[in-house]
Amino acid sequence: MIESRVGITNRLGLHARAAASLVRTAGRFRSVIRLERCDGTASADAKSILSVLMLAASCGTELTLSADGCDEVEANKAVLALFASGFGEHEQ
Amino acid sequence: MSEIPRLKLREKHWQGVSVSDGLIIGKVLRIPSGTRNILRTTLLDADVERETRRLKAAVRLARMQLLAIRNRAERELGIEHAYIFDAHILMLEDKKLLDDVEAYIRRERSNAEWAVKVAADKILGIYAEIKDDYLRQRGSDIEDVTRRILAALSGEDPAYSKLEEDAVIVAEDFLPSAVAELDFRRTLAIVTDAGGWTSHTSILARGLGIPAVVGLRDLHRHVKTGDEIIVDGSTGDVYLHPNAATLNRYKTAATVASANVSIVDDASGAVSTTDGIKIILQANVELPAEYDGVLKYGAMGIGLYRSEFLFAQRVDLPSEELQRAAYVEVGKFGGEKGATIRLFDLGGDKIGLAETETERNPVLGLRALRFGLRHIDVLRTQVRAILRAAAEVKLSLVLPMVSDVSDVRRARKIIDEERTRLAADGQQYGEIKIGAMIEIPSAVMTVGSIAAEVDFLSLGTNDLVQYLLAVDRGNEAVAEWFRTLHPAVLQSISQVLAASKLADIPVSVCGEMAGTPAYAVVLLGLGVRRLSMTPSLIPRMRSVLGKISLTDAEQIANECLRCVEADDVEDLVRAELSKRWGALFTSKSLPIGRSKG
Repeated sequence: MIESRVGITNRLGLHARAAASLVRTAGRFRSVIRLERCDGTASADAKSILSVLMLAASCGTELTLSADGCDEVEANKAVLALFASGFGEHEQ
Repeated sequence: MSEIPRLKLREKHWQGVSVSDGLIIGKVLRIPSGTRNILRTTLLDADVERETRRLKAAVRLARMQLLAIRNRAERELGIEHAYIFDAHILMLEDKKLLDDVEAYIRRERSNAEWAVKVAADKILGIYAEIKDDYLRQRGSDIEDVTRRILAALSGEDPAYSKLEEDAVIVAEDFLPSAVAELDFRRTLAIVTDAGGWTSHTSILARGLGIPAVVGLRDLHRHVKTGDEIIVDGSTGDVYLHPNAATLNRYKTAATVASANVSIVDDASGAVSTTDGIKIILQANVELPAEYDGVLKYGAMGIGLYRSEFLFAQRVDLPSEELQRAAYVEVGKFGGEKGATIRLFDLGGDKIGLAETETERNPVLGLRALRFGLRHIDVLRTQVRAILRAAAEVKLSLVLPMVSDVSDVRRARKIIDEERTRLAADGQQYGEIKIGAMIEIPSAVMTVGSIAAEVDFLSLGTNDLVQYLLAVDRGNEAVAEWFRTLHPAVLQSISQVLAASKLADIPVSVCGEMAGTPAYAVVLLGLGVRRLSMTPSLIPRMRSVLGKISLTDAEQIANECLRCVEADDVEDLVRAELSKRWGALFTSKSLPIGRSKG
């Protein structure tokens, strides 16, 4: 299992559009991919949009990303890249 | 209806919240209340399996509808309006929801409707507890998705998706996906009792230019379908049964308002540039609701009919007879110029074939013509339906996702075989022209050999840009690499046009580029003479192309072909268009520079 810490940097947080691209990205991998709020109040299956939205992760929220499975390295990398890109909405 | 003398109805006034501007005087279409009573029934053990299958079929149908809605929203409103439906589709695919529903059906031997309601209420309850405004709004998305599943279970059709006449929609509440399903051409305005529209519903209404007022509290129960109503989207005023004085006041205002926007014009036929070059404008259609626009906006036939819509209404494969009837109807709207039917542009996931494996990369997978060549019965059925429909109306057939001439040969062989079989069976059929969609780079590079064996070419620019630049249009992370005016795109188009000239066959452009005036000028300059677009875009295109000269367009296109960077092409187009025709192109209608730097 790989764990990394990620921060939400895009203005709108993990809202519907960002959550949708996260779920689509996570869905490409076999590994179990989870996100947990660092304050411990909620955790989510990154492949379920209903679950991801329940994180209520707004801009500035710190999360722990974990990937566990045969393609965990790639999965971890892909999700991190998505977070790093601010879900493609930095200029908005 | 007979003229029964009746009491003069008293004018009533409501004050709501305006979410989309515009003034409308029209007649009400009352949408029955969405709060349906869901009853719980207990199934026999033997029926539980069947119930879970019914659930799955409804979810599949709902998913098909949402895919159609999503594509329509992207095409007609832009990708920024389509993403919310991506979220809806994901919710529909979400195991969290579906596993719960299925488990409930099995455990409680419950009917699917009740199980959906229980599972949705549970999730809505959790959302309601989270202290976040944005999330609370997502509750309405979950409601939207569950209502769609419930509607699919009941087999009912939304009343607003195909209107017989222009109407002001009055509803208790209106969900985002319902807005995207509206019969846009005939919806004059939307008014709802509920306030707090998600910003998204309002954005959609504004994007469509449909006036909307919300928060009217109890209007819905006071109206009947057919009542006269005034909706003032700029102030939020709504008058039911307006009296003569109010009507007069608003009619004057409405005349002034409509003078500013001329959406409909009466022109039809080809448009000529100022130097007399004829450009043919055709319609892209998919939903039956769009057919009327073909005539209304003066399209010269249907340049692209997306036949996969036939799947959006059902779960199983549409029969030959059903398809034949649908193609005849499309052909009738195409008139003398006919209609071009694109073979199903689908992958196995959309058809719900059980044996289809989930593909790692469906965009590069077994879809469109490739799918047809593998599932040959699907292809043969469609080809027969088109050939038979062509006995009554003028039709062409276009092959989607052609890789090279061998795809064309394989498809033509099947078309020939079906023609022979129809003749042997003594069935009526007609002659059709056969074309190839050019949207894959390999087809561009070998376009000469393809052009030699088809009757026409269609440039699908959306997919061409995506495949040529290896950029997924839906992926925000690479959005800046999606450049419609990329030099590679322009050179490809130019190459296709050269090949068609040599083979002496027509080319039509039917992607998003064709419907955007700024891009159309460049296409024209490159040599395109046929454009096919969403019908409502035709009047604007006609008015722009009628005011420019081909000589100018050619100069611009030649300059563009010399550019080596997409940024340069965009800068050039922007500068040239505003220099030559500043009045025609507002800054909003020009391509937006999206520099990577």
